[in-house]
Amino acid sequence: MTDRLFPAAAPVVSPLRNVDPRVKIAAAVSLSILVFQAGPGQIVLLSLFLALLIVLSGGRRRDVVRILKPIALFAVLLFFLHALFTPGREVLRLPLLPAVTHEGLAQGGTVAWQFAALVVTGGLLTLTTLPSELVAALDKLLRPLRIFRVPTQDLAVMAAMALRFAPTFLEEYQRMKTARLARGGGAPGERLSRKLRTTGRMAIALILGALRRAEELAAAMEARGYARGPRTSMRELRLTRGDYAAVAVMASFTGLFFACRLFM
Amino acid sequence: MKQNPPSLRGLAYASMFGALTAAGAFMMIPLPPVPITMQTFFVSLAGALLGGYLGAMSQAVYILLGVIGLPVFAGGKAGFGVLLGPTGGYLVGFVVGAYVIGRLTAARERPGFWWLIAAMTVGHVFIYALGIGQLAVVAKLNLTKALAIGLLPTIPGGMLKIVMAALVCLKVREHVKL
Repeated sequence: MTDRLFPAAAPVVSPLRNVDPRVKIAAAVSLSILVFQAGPGQIVLLSLFLALLIVLSGGRRRDVVRILKPIALFAVLLFFLHALFTPGREVLRLPLLPAVTHEGLAQGGTVAWQFAALVVTGGLLTLTTLPSELVAALDKLLRPLRIFRVPTQDLAVMAAMALRFAPTFLEEYQRMKTARLARGGGAPGERLSRKLRTTGRMAIALILGALRRAEELAAAMEARGYARGPRTSMRELRLTRGDYAAVAVMASFTGLFFACRLFM
Repeated sequence: MKQNPPSLRGLAYASMFGALTAAGAFMMIPLPPVPITMQTFFVSLAGALLGGYLGAMSQAVYILLGVIGLPVFAGGKAGFGVLLGPTGGYLVGFVVGAYVIGRLTAARERPGFWWLIAAMTVGHVFIYALGIGQLAVVAKLNLTKALAIGLLPTIPGGMLKIVMAALVCLKVREHVKL
């Protein structure tokens, strides 16, 4: 379950896999902004572009399915919420339900699409980039924030630690839930106060585990001579000709996107 | 402690709370009719246990995880666009809220239950002020509507999470060695 929520970089050789992580993060950021700006015409355009990126990522179909599956139910739910509860021109009336409206269908479709597009964009980035590369790139990309005295190097290292442990915590939580079920807890009709108390206890166990892991991690890092401040990296990031080409593609797509907006 | 740079252990603590907030997007409190996620629960705890600076750092780490594509924002969303979207203000609010909660908690030598509740409530005021502000601007809602969508449905769950966070904080704070 956890690897579905946190897709790991697939070990396939593909054009996207070789693009500099900084370029990929920047592209994912701009795409996720475009997703919110898209009107009907641009939705088609952006979907085609995302499909192209999936092909370039060496995308196996099951990777895409794996990314979309956990959110599919939620997207469908969102679609029906909007379809049913947006006032407007009536299209279809079902018994016992509010009328489905034209505006509602359009809005529901847009919202569900935005949702899926955001998840695919994020998934493409994590599928084609190793966590170590992501962190190295973050370190570089956050650097301008230093003038606001943001400790960007600390943040990059911390993001690396969190990236490693977020799936672990989720797994521990799931294991505790399963253990509770196995012991006969969580039966239907259980009193609410009891449910809440169990949730609190699980949270305490989870937090104590997290604190212990943090201490072990800090001790291990200190033992290996970790020092804060400027660091060198095992993989130096260097922009190649292919990376500039990727930037050019992204820039021209953004241009096309806004040109569409002007003329459509 | 405020003046010294935080120790490596402190940074590790903060990363863990960033990770917990991220994982919290998938943890539900079984509250009828709609179960709620445990994210703001961890925001309160990060501030109360780690102090203002590290608490804010932990939430910044959480946002970074979402920006690099992990589906950890509310409802499994990810990406920088969410920060600029209608619910992005809440995310920025997490950083500010954790900072405020941390500073208020640290104002007392050994804050008791009610002091924690008060600190967390004030922190949540900041979270909601930023969240609803952005919601109103981005979704072009007037303030009443924004309040009705962004605040009212979350009040019972939010209060419950604050109480739980305060109780949990009292239980685990002895184990935090900054």
